[in-house]
Amino acid sequence: MEGAQSRPIPVLSESGVDEVDLTPVRTYWQLVRQRFVRHRLAVIAFFLLSFLVIASIAIPFLTGNAWAKTDLTLINKPPSLIAPFGYDHLGTNTFARLMKGLQTSLFIGLSAVTVIVVIGITVGSIAGFFGGWVDNALMRFVDIVLSIPTFFLIVMLVAFWGTGNVWVIIIAIGLTGWTTAARLVRAEFLSLREADFVQAARALGASDRRIVVRHMIPSALAPVVVAATLGIADSVVVEASLSFLGFGINPPEASLGNMLTGAQDFFYRNPLLAWYPGVTLVLVVLAASFLGDGLRDALDPRQRVEV
Amino acid sequence: MTVRADPQMLLQLQDIRTYFPTQDGIVKAVDGVSLSIRHGETLGVVGESGCGKSITALSIMRLIERPGRVVSGSIRLGDRDLLTLSDDEMRDVRGKTIAMIFQEPMTSLNPVFTCGSQIAEAVALHEGVSGRQAAARAVEMLAQVGIPDPKRRADEYPHQLSGGMRQRVMIAMALSANPELLIADEPTTALDVTIQAQILELMKALRERNRMAIMLITHDLGVIAEMADDVVVMYAGKVVETSDVITVFEQPHHPYSKGLLASIPRLGQKRHRLEVIKGVVPNPLNLPTGCLFKRRCPYAMPVCDTPPPFQQVSSGHVSRCWLTPEGGPPAVGEAPSREVAEEAAAALSVAQ
Amino acid sequence: MARYIARRLIQAIPIIIGISIISFLIVYLSPGDPFDRFRSNKVSPEVIENLRRVYGLDQPLPVQFVKWFTAFWSFPWNPTAWGYSITDGLPVRDKIFERIPSTLQLMGVSLFFTVVIAIPIGILGAVRQYSWSDKIIMIVATIGYALPTFWLGIILKQIFAAQLDIFPLFGKYSFGKEGDVLDLAWHLALPVATLTVVGVAGWSRYMRASMLEVLRADYIRTARAKGLASSRVIFKHALRNALIPIVTLLGLTVPALLTGAAITEAVFTWPGLGGLGVSSVVDRDYPVVLAFVMMGGSMVIIGNLLADVLYAVVDPRIKY
Repeated sequence: MEGAQSRPIPVLSESGVDEVDLTPVRTYWQLVRQRFVRHRLAVIAFFLLSFLVIASIAIPFLTGNAWAKTDLTLINKPPSLIAPFGYDHLGTNTFARLMKGLQTSLFIGLSAVTVIVVIGITVGSIAGFFGGWVDNALMRFVDIVLSIPTFFLIVMLVAFWGTGNVWVIIIAIGLTGWTTAARLVRAEFLSLREADFVQAARALGASDRRIVVRHMIPSALAPVVVAATLGIADSVVVEASLSFLGFGINPPEASLGNMLTGAQDFFYRNPLLAWYPGVTLVLVVLAASFLGDGLRDALDPRQRVEV
Repeated sequence: MTVRADPQMLLQLQDIRTYFPTQDGIVKAVDGVSLSIRHGETLGVVGESGCGKSITALSIMRLIERPGRVVSGSIRLGDRDLLTLSDDEMRDVRGKTIAMIFQEPMTSLNPVFTCGSQIAEAVALHEGVSGRQAAARAVEMLAQVGIPDPKRRADEYPHQLSGGMRQRVMIAMALSANPELLIADEPTTALDVTIQAQILELMKALRERNRMAIMLITHDLGVIAEMADDVVVMYAGKVVETSDVITVFEQPHHPYSKGLLASIPRLGQKRHRLEVIKGVVPNPLNLPTGCLFKRRCPYAMPVCDTPPPFQQVSSGHVSRCWLTPEGGPPAVGEAPSREVAEEAAAALSVAQ
Repeated sequence: MARYIARRLIQAIPIIIGISIISFLIVYLSPGDPFDRFRSNKVSPEVIENLRRVYGLDQPLPVQFVKWFTAFWSFPWNPTAWGYSITDGLPVRDKIFERIPSTLQLMGVSLFFTVVIAIPIGILGAVRQYSWSDKIIMIVATIGYALPTFWLGIILKQIFAAQLDIFPLFGKYSFGKEGDVLDLAWHLALPVATLTVVGVAGWSRYMRASMLEVLRADYIRTARAKGLASSRVIFKHALRNALIPIVTLLGLTVPALLTGAAITEAVFTWPGLGGLGVSSVVDRDYPVVLAFVMMGGSMVIIGNLLADVLYAVVDPRIKY
């Protein structure tokens, strides 16, 4: 609605030719939001994810270093008011540690996705825009990266360059995960170069590059946004796996993954210890997945795959 | 109101309504369609895209997918109402008594099975013969529909055949059990004009040989002129005119039919503009009250706000319009009453 | 077709070279070296230098690379083709080959059950779209897909092994029962269950999506119009088409048969390739690490080729 010009246009209707005001009632982004809201699950997922993010920031902030404090007198004590999930095998407040671990995992996940998106868009747009041998060379490179077993590659990178180093982990996940985003962006750019609506826009006098960019960018961004959201789920799980194996975040630092490692030894005495970080992890993955699905439908309804 | 089962009639549709519930409302794709086909007759069903002709055909075959449903009406085949049959009984009718061919031969044949095997499947199903006999019969059918080198073609896959040949395969498949009625839904629309002519010739020849009735659905008036004995004109889910083919072409009554015929450019005519029917087909979710055509009709009158009845224009020619048979506006106070209209509809099925 | 395969294999050569170069660089350019753990006050530098010379680590990188790369491909007949492990001096090739059967058993059995269970579920969901059974299937599948395998493994271990004591907690065989098939099956149960649950969640969604798309096709309408019974339409006409993408997916899953189980193997202490891979990285056992990467990369290339070949076999429209 902002900036749209109002001008009646001749249009074919039941009674013949009418003059009708076709000013778009909604802009592209409003339509996107409207479509998104129709997916109740995606909306729930959005709020859940936001809630988790906020909690992971707020709770550690409020509880200080409760997540690191060990108190041998409190080992495996049952839940209480200040410790809604009880205490773990070292006497740490499980809830506080869980939130701190969530914070670490989310931080790594979101940062890794950022790296993925940046590299992916860069490589993809260069390949798609220039085409030719540049495209060929870059795609060969993508093939090579894709051929190496991904998780093993991440383990290698992290183990050789810095176990437990948050930034190494982020970069490792990012360096191995950008291929999908790159392919998506490249595909969009390649097809958009010849797209009918781009040519139509030019024919309408929009030799103004800005308008073309205003049409091309949303189209190219859409699949990347979806891939990024789904990538959050992936990255968080990868980080948890790394920490579980001992390559990622190590105690005393907290991560959802290493909380699970610790919990393994205490199946008998404190079985719930394995459930808290696991369920939290599952919630993050589910929320990110549903959010991604909802975004996919909202941003690009023609991509609708009924899975 | 019931219509007596007429032994001369192969198929009688009575007030068929097929509705589709959607998120935005109920789409009345077919809303009160009645028609009938005699043995060996070719009935042409004409109308624009979206007028409900295909849905009518699918309703006859009971191939309407959920959530769509045939909500009321009757489909008499001989002495049975198809809508009351069980699933198994209906399956027995399909392919054997009534066969159907579709518009897109490219996508209507299963790409992973050979042409021969797809025909043989139909043969084996309806005639209960062994695999080998069915395969031989399939080759025979391919020859009958004019495919050269039928034995080789039978082992080929659909994508190896041209569009025209694929449609012939479809026809062979449909005819394999010698049905009494063939429903052809836009059989030539997706084909080149020259192939179109060949397919129509083929259908005519087969019709002669098998004494088969055809329900030919199309928006192409040329095809109707060539093939049909009688014509049903549909608009927005309803029948608006019914008559034999000559009358419809030479003396159309309903303004829609008139508009359709007027819009065909004729050779030798010099015109600056093509004739069009102004306006567009109404939104099925937002139909006007009264006559559905009124907003596009050059003869629209105030009385058109009430639904027009079927009027008998002449023997065997009915039209759903307020205009008198002579084409003038109805005299005030002389609008036919409901009973008169119903009698006219009854007369329609008998008089044909 | 043979020409197509040959062409693809030739195209794969630069990729293999690329993989080897990248992994070589990652390994040898990283800080530290495999002998760090030997370094201490008690060990003289000459000993370390000797070790380095034995393993060829004192030579310039390109020389090392060429030597290693050329030797690599003689593995079918040469047990030392992949060098010797730094941790225990054994030939790398034998160390790896020894572990392959365990991983294959685990992944193979899991894949079998996954496919056998997921396909019917997917068909059911598609045929009864929008019904209650479909909705339940979709929800369960989505949740199952979101479960990280290692957490599921831990939970299953906790419930069935620790608390209920129905299945063993770790390993492949009980002591003294090596070679006993029943014992193997008992130990396989939980890890296979873990992988199968997540696998079924994913594959049933693919199957359902593929089936849905096929059921919408015109030729299905034709089949019904012919008078065919519903079961025949679904199981003959629809399924045959819906399985095409599934079959190609199977080809793509082949590399995972060897490389995919690292975490599950860790959870259940399964003596497979995953454990070897992880420990070799921890110990910086470079020859083993490199062999792993090359093996994995080759499997991926073979898997892709297999997927494309299967596609041509299953779909008569495809001709190379």
